[in-house]
Amino acid sequence: MVETLLTESNAASHLEARGVHVWFGQRQVLQDVNLVFPSNQVTALIGPSGCGKSTFIRTLNRMHELIPGAGFAGQILLDGKDIYEDGTDAVDVRLRVGMVFQKPNPFPTMSIRENVLAGLRLTGKKNPNMDELVETSLRRASIWNEVKDRLNDPALSLSGGQQQRLCIARSLAMDPAVLLMDEPCSALDPGSTRRVEETIEELADQMTIVIVTHNMQQAQRVSHQTAFFLSEDGNPGGVVEFGTTEQVFNQPVDPRTNDYVNGHFG
Amino acid sequence: MTATQVQTSTMKPTNPWAKRNKARTRDVVIASLLPGILAVVFFFVGTALGATIDPAVLLIIGFLPAQLLAAFLVGRKYYGRHGREDALLIVVTIFLSTFVMVLLLSVLWSVISAGALALRPSFILQNSHYISGTTSLEYGGAGHAILGTVMAVAITTILTVPLGFGIAVYLTETGGKARGVIRTLIQAMSGLPSVVSGLFIYSILVLQGWQPSGFTGSLALLPLMLPTVSRVSEEALRLVPVDLRNGALALGSPTWQAFAKVVFPAARSGLLTAVLLGVARIVGETAPLVLTTTYNNDTNLNPFNGPMAMLPTFIFGYIRNMYDTSIQRGWGGCLVIMILVGVLFVGARVANRKKK
Amino acid sequence: MSPQGETKIPAKRQLVTKPSRTADKVFFGLTSVAANFSIVLILLILGFLLYQAWPAFQSQGFSFFSGETWDSSATPQIFQIGPMLWGSVLVALLGMVIALPLAISLAYFIEFMAAKKIAAVATTLVDLLAAIPSIVIGLWGFAVFGPVAQHWASLLHDYLGWIPYVFYHEGANYGGSPFIAGLVVSVMIVPIITSVTREIFSQMDRDVVNASIALGAGRAATFRKVILPTASGGIVGGALLGLGRALGETIAIFFVLNLVFHINFFQVINGEGGTVASMIVSKFGEADASERSALMASGIVLFVLTLLISALSSYIVKKAQPWRTN
Ligand SMILES: Nc1ncnc2c1ncn2[C@@H]1O[C@H](COP(=O)(O)OP(=O)(O)O)[C@@H](O)[C@H]1O
Ligand SMILES: [Mg+2]
Repeated sequence: MVETLLTESNAASHLEARGVHVWFGQRQVLQDVNLVFPSNQVTALIGPSGCGKSTFIRTLNRMHELIPGAGFAGQILLDGKDIYEDGTDAVDVRLRVGMVFQKPNPFPTMSIRENVLAGLRLTGKKNPNMDELVETSLRRASIWNEVKDRLNDPALSLSGGQQQRLCIARSLAMDPAVLLMDEPCSALDPGSTRRVEETIEELADQMTIVIVTHNMQQAQRVSHQTAFFLSEDGNPGGVVEFGTTEQVFNQPVDPRTNDYVNGHFG
Repeated sequence: MTATQVQTSTMKPTNPWAKRNKARTRDVVIASLLPGILAVVFFFVGTALGATIDPAVLLIIGFLPAQLLAAFLVGRKYYGRHGREDALLIVVTIFLSTFVMVLLLSVLWSVISAGALALRPSFILQNSHYISGTTSLEYGGAGHAILGTVMAVAITTILTVPLGFGIAVYLTETGGKARGVIRTLIQAMSGLPSVVSGLFIYSILVLQGWQPSGFTGSLALLPLMLPTVSRVSEEALRLVPVDLRNGALALGSPTWQAFAKVVFPAARSGLLTAVLLGVARIVGETAPLVLTTTYNNDTNLNPFNGPMAMLPTFIFGYIRNMYDTSIQRGWGGCLVIMILVGVLFVGARVANRKKK
Repeated sequence: MSPQGETKIPAKRQLVTKPSRTADKVFFGLTSVAANFSIVLILLILGFLLYQAWPAFQSQGFSFFSGETWDSSATPQIFQIGPMLWGSVLVALLGMVIALPLAISLAYFIEFMAAKKIAAVATTLVDLLAAIPSIVIGLWGFAVFGPVAQHWASLLHDYLGWIPYVFYHEGANYGGSPFIAGLVVSVMIVPIITSVTREIFSQMDRDVVNASIALGAGRAATFRKVILPTASGGIVGGALLGLGRALGETIAIFFVLNLVFHINFFQVINGEGGTVASMIVSKFGEADASERSALMASGIVLFVLTLLISALSSYIVKKAQPWRTN
């Protein structure tokens, strides 16, 4: 997968984290994270629980600031522009950087179709061809065939794996340049996991993807590059190793990375 | 009734003790029934023999000690040391719980039975024009007061609900800085004595030249309804998972859209509950109305002008008359209020249940 | 990437959710208007009552709180609420002392003894009864319960009259005593204390309770050693909540308590008493301007008293139920 590392596409964005430090209240949980997410690349974030992967990924679309007491230092550059700059609107950032959560969270009061179109309704965007948008979004999330006959059923009538793919479709309908995924498969069965992984591979043509995963095989299957996060002895977490997925898994520089990817701890 | 509880709660269905279980069941039944039977027999035999036996005294110094002793003995025999204590705990708990329930059911029953005597179509449909404290119940009714209550409560609700929801949204959705202060103040307001709310409206409006009317009464009810509405709706909003809000915000939604299209629909039945409980809180509130409205025996359909009767002041006025018929009118009014409260309450339950 | 030893940490920026779009600014603005309204309302209540009460405080001085005379026809007029202030406290305390064991028993019964169905019915009933307006309880207390309670009072006098002072009574009429008012108030606050206590019981770790019973500790020991210590803070908070409600109770007491301007310290079945709230209602109709000012002053004293109680209760409940704060 290394050869695709530098491919370019118009729609996807280049994302970069520079010197990111994060606090919850007085407690610092991330220390000096520097990562580059080139366009159309899939980046896996791995590391033991509690090392700050979710926290980091939430800083990439300014969801972190929704938590009272959130503190931050550093820069997140989206196509070269710092999203934390004064005067930048968090809502604009989130329009370009979509997010899929660990637990499927379809809107319970809406039907499947309404869920896909929820982003448009919520942001007041107009799209002349709703039906087409619903179909393409659901197709891209590889769930179209399963739901095409029941688009008006409540979203909660779907299985957990289908709900998660619906949430992906919901994000895709907004046509984000970057898609963040925080352990999207941790609540799913193997079959659904497989489908989501296929979806990710296809999506990489059109957008930049950052995915947090606990599953080493998954990281190797879907990602081009991998960052290994670690927080030791209650110190703030940080990135121990960052490189192409092949390099991180097969020739890790840091012995701790070696231990982790070979299942010795975490 | 008491000692069977001992058995069902701690009995283990193991077979080897089946024989003993039988003996135990027998003793437990005896211990739970005998004191009561003895007390009843004692009461009737004693009364028949011409003694005056006070049921309250018999209950406290006859039945209760006997029941405690019986439970104590059985508990000790079959459950050892802790059996004695447990038996006492169970007897006391059931005795006190029954006492409370009897009191509370007595309230309900009094309202229903005494109120039913006054309740008739004319009581709902007529006003009290030409009615005095001694007029027969055939004539006149509380229709004007029911209308007054409905209008005044509607005005209070229209004013309070947006405020209450606004406060709840401030506390849960916008991450407002003054959350702690506002919560404390709402808590303080929920302890506001209702009569003080009446004094407040009197001092700020009536003393400044406003005529007492239905509207002044509505305003006096507002500080009493506001804490209920905002507290219950805050809880309802808080039950909406954070994940849903985050899901909406992550799509690039503005906060108000996330609230209007995701959080609000998910919390709708809880918010309805908040409104219904708020209305139930004020519909029978009397003291503030006594201070801020004026009696009226006639129907007044304009809450902004002139005296307007409302159910609580209607009841209060008739009870104060102290005639038998006027007190019966009071009971009738109480029944109407209790029906209103009951309907609101059941509505709140149903709304809440639908969500789950 | 960077080694652990590096210590240079850039300045932390505190992040907050700020509305950016106009519509969001309006939304945030409206909610904070509503929130600030509650501040304004409390301040207005305190401010206007104080403004109206000021003449009375000035003319009566400290004896407003301690004296035992209320005479609007005297010159100068005398307005003193000592007996009412003490009466409020006495009736509320009596009500709470009666209500507390009843409420705890009922909550224990519902949560730990009754079958599910019975528990559900009892819970609904208790919640419904918490919503009974005080005028209904007042009429019931006056017309139905009053005679029964008067009979109980006579029994207390007959059997316990040898105890000096407390059960003093003269004459045949046992009505209008703090004892009866306390009972009526306890009927009002039992549902309140029960629901708070029940909620705390229901949030306790069932496994701990069941394990303790299964281990042979027994119900009583479990109640004493596991349930009560865990729940005590919450129960005290609930009791104070009920106390606050009892202090402010107006109409129910108005019908069952004689209004006498003489401090009745603890002669609970003696028909002398009165509370601040019930006095306000009974005097307000005929009051002239200066008497009204004195009633406003009484109202503000009552409000401050309930504020103190409610502050104490929310502090205690918060300590007892840390999971409720966020
Ligand atoms: N809302 C929060 N408030 C305070 N601390 C938090 C919060 N969320 C996470 N943390 C802390 O931040 C650290 C990183 O958490 P997280 O980013 O969720 O880790 P990961 O996703 O790698 O498992 C943890 O120590 C966690 O306790
Ligand atoms: Mg995580």
